[in-house]
Amino acid sequence: MERATYDIVVVGGGGAGLRAAIAAAEADPSLTIALVSKVYPMRSHTVSAEGGTAAVLRDYDSFELHALDTIKGSDFLADQDAVEFFVQRCPEEIYQLEHWGCPWSRDPDGRVSQRAFGGMSVKRTVFAADKVGFHILHTLFQTSMKYPQIHRFDEYFVTTLLVDGNACAGVIALDLRGGQMIAIGAKATILATGGCGRVYEFTTNGFIKTGDGMALAYRAGVPLKDMEMVQFHPTCLPGTGILITEAARGEGGYLINKDGERYMQRYLPGKMELGPRDILSRSMIMEMKAGRAFKGLYGEYLGLDLRHLGEATIDKKLPMVRELTEKYMGLDPINEPIPVRPGQHYMMGGVSTNIRGETAVPGLYAVGETACVSINGANRLGSNSLSECLVFGTATGRAAVEFVKKKPAFPGAATIRDALKKEEARVFDGLFGRERGKETVAGVRVEMQQLMERDVGIFRETTALSDACTKLANLRERFSQVALTDKDRVFNTELTAVLELDFMLDVATAIAHSALQRKESRGAHSRTDFPDRDDANFLKHSLAFRTDGAPRIDYAPVTITKWQPVERKY
Amino acid sequence: MADRDVVFRVKRYRPEKDSKPSYQRYRIPYRDDMVVLDGLNYIKDTMDPTLTFRWSCRMGICGSCGANVNGQPKLTCGTYIRDVHRGVVTVDPLTNFPIIKDLVVDFDDFLNKLASVKPYIVREDWGDLTKEYVQYPEDIEAYKQQSMCINCMLCYAACPVVGANPHFVGPAAAALALRYIRDSRDEGADARLERLNTKSGVWECTFVGECSVVCPKDVDPAGALQTLKFLATMRHMKRLLMPKMASR
Amino acid sequence: MTARPYPWKRPRGWWLRNPRYLSFQLREAGGVVSALYGLILLNMLLQLRAGESAYTAFLDTMRTPPMLYVNLVLFGLVVFHAVSWFMLIGKAQPIRFTEKPIPWKSAFAVNLVLWLGVSGAVVYLIFGGL
Repeated sequence: MERATYDIVVVGGGGAGLRAAIAAAEADPSLTIALVSKVYPMRSHTVSAEGGTAAVLRDYDSFELHALDTIKGSDFLADQDAVEFFVQRCPEEIYQLEHWGCPWSRDPDGRVSQRAFGGMSVKRTVFAADKVGFHILHTLFQTSMKYPQIHRFDEYFVTTLLVDGNACAGVIALDLRGGQMIAIGAKATILATGGCGRVYEFTTNGFIKTGDGMALAYRAGVPLKDMEMVQFHPTCLPGTGILITEAARGEGGYLINKDGERYMQRYLPGKMELGPRDILSRSMIMEMKAGRAFKGLYGEYLGLDLRHLGEATIDKKLPMVRELTEKYMGLDPINEPIPVRPGQHYMMGGVSTNIRGETAVPGLYAVGETACVSINGANRLGSNSLSECLVFGTATGRAAVEFVKKKPAFPGAATIRDALKKEEARVFDGLFGRERGKETVAGVRVEMQQLMERDVGIFRETTALSDACTKLANLRERFSQVALTDKDRVFNTELTAVLELDFMLDVATAIAHSALQRKESRGAHSRTDFPDRDDANFLKHSLAFRTDGAPRIDYAPVTITKWQPVERKY
Repeated sequence: MADRDVVFRVKRYRPEKDSKPSYQRYRIPYRDDMVVLDGLNYIKDTMDPTLTFRWSCRMGICGSCGANVNGQPKLTCGTYIRDVHRGVVTVDPLTNFPIIKDLVVDFDDFLNKLASVKPYIVREDWGDLTKEYVQYPEDIEAYKQQSMCINCMLCYAACPVVGANPHFVGPAAAALALRYIRDSRDEGADARLERLNTKSGVWECTFVGECSVVCPKDVDPAGALQTLKFLATMRHMKRLLMPKMASR
Repeated sequence: MTARPYPWKRPRGWWLRNPRYLSFQLREAGGVVSALYGLILLNMLLQLRAGESAYTAFLDTMRTPPMLYVNLVLFGLVVFHAVSWFMLIGKAQPIRFTEKPIPWKSAFAVNLVLWLGVSGAVVYLIFGGL
């Protein structure tokens, strides 16, 4: 089967993608929905999220407060209308997931528990021990089995969007198992492929997080918004980069340096370990520069001390933290502090969308980490991103259904046929068929990751950023010298690695250029040569547009409703 | 850390070239902190880009990387080379599954079996979205263990019954059926037990117990299967002896 | 392209691949053997009914060295079967009497004691007591 048509195609089967598919199926059960994912949905990286998902559920909390925390956390780069829309819909998503069986941890009275989290004024993070992402993803995946109109295309790798005129008409994907390409025509396409952490060397992200959806939209002319806003999570295990959840600090854990002192009193005495992630990550780097960090096999690190929490609390609230530390660090957190250092974790930036998930291209939507609405601005608060997947998953699914109802026709057969032929030529003749090259996919990939880590990391400055931009252009050249050794068509993961690297180079270039052009420090974007926030010139979103050369960086205003930007003090 | 060598003996199968699988050997340097997955990636990145295997999270939660290591089903991301190293580390695709390519197996059958046990909350009255269904911490304990399944398929690889009888619903699907049956919010026990009270359901299980031995998440599917046998029998007896009561 | 997945076939010696599979096969064999031994006991009853000489002939056959060895082997398998099943009792607890499952070693110990007790009583009965 070379061709198929569906009303809606969702690319990516993680939290946002599944939620959007289910929302669409519920909004109009007569529609057909394709869920196309390069991995089986339960492998999506949502599964690794640990800490929790935020919502206003109790009297001591309010939408105002959740919105204010989020906007302040974003260093005032978030669009406040989007934030207001978001916080109001979090509670019903929590209850919807709960109704679908998600095992939220409970208080003794049987109601859903909430814990403290970084940057949140009150306890509003709903959790499921420390495996919230696992439980949300499996609940959504298993619930999606109730809807026969959702057809899954498991292990299909989308290589390009189908464009008809100026609208998006679906996708073209590589069937990994069969080795041939298929065109999936659709009236609406929703991109939910997650972030792009694998452009960095040290990341919490799984292997599959290669920015596919971001690159697909970028190549279709949609700008990538705020790409320079890359979140570095303060507590990652050295070596592997495995995430140790913020919940460990939410439950009372301390961050200590080699002298055993809680060094956050030097940087954020008000919030200490529960400050926003960008401030915490920078503080760690500063401790390292001051010579107060531990030194180990994988470089310098700080300590996450959970000893005072006691075995009972750790086993009840943070069991996976204990398992991971024992397995991958060989120590028990009830006896020793956990070695941690900052690592790439999340992309605040992404495909530019509005509240309904719409992009500049009609028929093309984006949601979840792939998208930038923006509610996270220059820094995301922990436990907002799972809520974002749920709230905007629902909103985008419903928006796509409304759009589909108004659109009379599927894309034409001739358009689909031509686009398919063209893409087959690009992938099979171009990439796959290339004879003898002097570069390997792993070689180019590792260099990209190392240069991003070094030059576009937590602290940035002009020379390093310019250097990165030049080197990335150079790597793009060298990429054209990558030829495949694996010439099999069936399940060719060297080919998918090449396709992913192709996407990653585009995305990395957008990040580096956006970072170079933003001559201020805001949230996670920290310039040593422009250390202050500059609202006069930069209270705006970066928009990176793809060109044949360097991306064109333009700007768009930030929507401000109630909260005028003030100094971000905690 | 001193670099030492280890030989990885990996089962290859390239459907366009091979009529049957065969082993290929690679000698690689390794360190104490390397897991088998690191070894496979080293081979793919620097020696043989054709080597094909699944992986993603590298922290034992996504369930992608199951393989037979020295004959035992394991997650390659959670198996240290130093622990299985006997000069040679043999890596095979998971037992009991058709091989698509190298270490990549076809487990679509499992997803059909999973769908057949209705792995979602079944209820009449859903209430509204303004509040949660009340569920106490002890209620969660009742199904928590079975809810930990990451669908890694190690239990299917371990089960000799799965190997001989492809229609057997299998450990993980049964464990997830029990997870929902025991969830205090669910009302779908009847339908699930109906499906499981068949030859392709729980009755194929002969309590070998190997599934629970290999499970990396301590789900105890063997215990779940025996519990389901008991529940299915009780339901069957009730329907036989007290049909009026049972139909409620 | 005729590339297809390589189908799965269970190898013949699958149960030799790990000690727990071997143990499982022996356990199951023990069940078969127990049933077969039941037939021998049934035969004993038939011979008893057939008269003194038939019964004596039966006992003489049972006393020959080959039969004694067979009995020893069968006894071994039956004991293995019983013990391995007892070890499983605690691992499957469909009815919970206590909040947390009873550790399997406790369930095993209790059943072992019960079994020895009942067997002891039976032996006592047969060999003289009462």
